[in-house]
Amino acid sequence: MNELDLGVRRHVYRRFVELGRAPTLAELRDELGLDDVEVELRRLHEAHALVLEPGSGEIRMANPFSAVPTPYRVEAGGRSWYANCAWDAFGIPAALHVEGHVTAACPDCREPLEIDLGGSHEGPTPDDQIFHVLVPAAHWWDDIVFT
Amino acid sequence: MNLFRSEEHLRRWLDANGYEAGATLTANRLWLLAEAWWGDRLAPDWLPHTRDQNQAILQGLGLTAEFWQLP
Repeated sequence: MNELDLGVRRHVYRRFVELGRAPTLAELRDELGLDDVEVELRRLHEAHALVLEPGSGEIRMANPFSAVPTPYRVEAGGRSWYANCAWDAFGIPAALHVEGHVTAACPDCREPLEIDLGGSHEGPTPDDQIFHVLVPAAHWWDDIVFT
Repeated sequence: MNLFRSEEHLRRWLDANGYEAGATLTANRLWLLAEAWWGDRLAPDWLPHTRDQNQAILQGLGLTAEFWQLP
């Protein structure tokens, strides 16, 4: 990953944090002054630094942030984002180094799960949930959306 | 990668969907994993983790089984 790659990635993440959503291709083209921003994003996608939508080339994931609605919603520092999964939901307060609140639903019964973590909470409160990983680590990137 | 209310809810979900069980962690261990894995993600000087760095994070939390071996 070269300096340009790192700079574009840094910008994407900064805007994702600021906006509470993924920056669009059009916004990135304007903000970065790069005509071939799609090519640059494709390089980051291939390096697993973010994930693009297969058709449009728009950003789908800048892990732990999700560009599309998911069952995992995170509020932190007065803003909110969707996370790609439970690990990523815990990852947003961890990445921001602030207190966060995760709203999710048990995939079995759909009962809401409300969890505070980070900041003064340190670990999750309550902490009686079970985290399950279905796909072995060797295959996480075979289909990262399913993983 | 999901959070369940309990082991019982997880087992029911696996059965209903015909999935084999994978690996489980407590919420407290997930938080430790999230801090180690994502903690530097927004740092201005962030560099991609190498495969070995990520494996070391997993290993540091005792996740040494074949299930947790990265490619």
